[in-house]
Amino acid sequence: MMKSFLVTKNKDKFADPPKFNERKDYRPADVKETGLSFVGHEISEDRTVINQFLHYDQLYTIRHGWNSRFFIGLLDGKIMGTRCPKCGDSWVPVRTHCWNLNCKLQKTEWVEMPLTAKVHTWTIAGWSGRSSLKRLPIILVYASIGTSKVAMANELHGINPWDVEFGMPLKIVFKPKEQRVGAVIDFHFEPVDFWKPSPMNEEKQRIKDLVTPVYEWVKTLK
Amino acid sequence: MSQKVCIIGGATTPFDYGATGFESIEGGAAECVKETQQDVPEFSLRDLDLMIYSHFSVHFGHQLAPEWIIHDHLGLVGLPHYRVENGGNTGGSALYAAALAVMSGHHNVVGVVGWETMDSVSQSQGSEFIAMASDIRYELMVGGIYPIYYAAMANKWMKDNKVTEEDVALIAAKNKNNAMDNPKAQWYRNDHKYITVDDVMNSRLISYPIKKLDCCLMSRGVAFLLVCSEDYAKKVNPDHYVTIDGVGLSSCTIRAGDRLNNPGWNERYGPGYPEMTEFAACRNSAEQAYKMADIKDPPKDIDFGEIHDAFSTSEAQIYKALGLANENTIAKFIRDERTSMYGDIPMNPGGGLLGYGHPVGATGIMSTIECYYQLAGMIPKKHLSKKTEVPDPQCGIVNSHAGTGTSISNFILRRK
Repeated sequence: MMKSFLVTKNKDKFADPPKFNERKDYRPADVKETGLSFVGHEISEDRTVINQFLHYDQLYTIRHGWNSRFFIGLLDGKIMGTRCPKCGDSWVPVRTHCWNLNCKLQKTEWVEMPLTAKVHTWTIAGWSGRSSLKRLPIILVYASIGTSKVAMANELHGINPWDVEFGMPLKIVFKPKEQRVGAVIDFHFEPVDFWKPSPMNEEKQRIKDLVTPVYEWVKTLK
Repeated sequence: MSQKVCIIGGATTPFDYGATGFESIEGGAAECVKETQQDVPEFSLRDLDLMIYSHFSVHFGHQLAPEWIIHDHLGLVGLPHYRVENGGNTGGSALYAAALAVMSGHHNVVGVVGWETMDSVSQSQGSEFIAMASDIRYELMVGGIYPIYYAAMANKWMKDNKVTEEDVALIAAKNKNNAMDNPKAQWYRNDHKYITVDDVMNSRLISYPIKKLDCCLMSRGVAFLLVCSEDYAKKVNPDHYVTIDGVGLSSCTIRAGDRLNNPGWNERYGPGYPEMTEFAACRNSAEQAYKMADIKDPPKDIDFGEIHDAFSTSEAQIYKALGLANENTIAKFIRDERTSMYGDIPMNPGGGLLGYGHPVGATGIMSTIECYYQLAGMIPKKHLSKKTEVPDPQCGIVNSHAGTGTSISNFILRRK
């Protein structure tokens, strides 16, 4: 009796959980959640040292909670930002409470941003994390989207790496709808249609010389 | 009862990658303590009244609460212990915690053990693990490793400050060549060669303007440092102790792009700073440490430093954040090689992260130990020659740095 009374009381106190009615699983077939397992070892010739191979493959759930509208926006081909109703600052990546201490953690409101941005700074990656090696070289830019007060990192496609410039105007291009996953990799930047690269110069040539071997190296990756 | 904080000893394992260094973290810690005991025979583990552990990522260690293994192995049951984690500034933050513990008067003899075993996964997987300290929701899979974020920040900083690829290559060559005088340095143990600016310029692209030789080394390593009250220092090591006269710890945004118009910085330093290029947390924590240690003119008052050169470019950015040069003088400051062993303010005589290595949790401790050796006159004993000994140093700075400049600490150490 007592037990069921407590459960009912607790349930009344808290919000209902969301009802998840859209679920997609696009993990590759070879990804298996095996948990922890010893999968091998090696021993030195003189049998004084052993290395053990421990494998674990863990599925994480990133619960986006109050930030969810940004990630759902990506699935819909939109960039959702937030804006403080008190001071007017706006952001992508979003903040659910204002960063201005005078606004006393004011809750922000959602705003749809235009699909335009401006390069703040950039780099050309010739090396990256394991999952990104085959996409090298990568042009990574930090760009401010719409009215956002901050710059967001993402890849710039559609130009030669040596042609990227500070301050260049960009558009946001989404992957085809069926390929989107609700993460920032659903979109990338491209130069706006009217943009033309400036003529070759010494720095551009230097970058070209540095990235040429990267293209060759990537071809050798299996 | 605030009391003076001292350092009386410390040691690292050789820093390395793969199965050539110490074969267990607790074994490495024990060897570091033993080396310290050889330098300070009066020190006994029984004198410790607190242990602070400095370790960044359990991803690398495949062990939660790994400090419990070390603490147990050292025979320290009953002694209070806890672990500090603060990204690349884990070592600096552990030192900060140890200094506060002594300063408070609640503890008198505090051991700090730092370590990382980054060779438990492949280099590219290791880079990806470290990148999980970026905001994974917005940054992880877009380009996504720290050298790329640093390169984007440095690219604009170099343009704004008229610093060239060749300028920062000088820093890379300096630190790796300094490491050639240090038998525990990873560069000495593995690559083992002197390099030139041309070698750096011709090394493979990591992320423009950063090349392979502009980058620090991914490492395995352990370090131990002994922090204590002045009473204890005078008792066990009266001739070779240094004082920590200034401490500073500061923070910045996790995502570098969020610094452009940040109200917190606008309030402190005015609009337009730190941009995406300056390390505001370094400037801010240095200001705290300088004030406490009464440093008025940093390039004059400080004789040398062990600073967080994760990349040659970041060492250059740190010079500016520490107030050693400004935007008009920074390029010349580097070109004049003022931070080389024959300059007026040598930086990273121990090799730094570029040469000694960067086993994250051990790194800031290693920097502190190298700074201590210089001030305590122990370089001839610890390095291979006097080439990397700063002449008659009175005051050194230790700098530890995390994220994209997200947490940074600075310490002013003085000879006693």
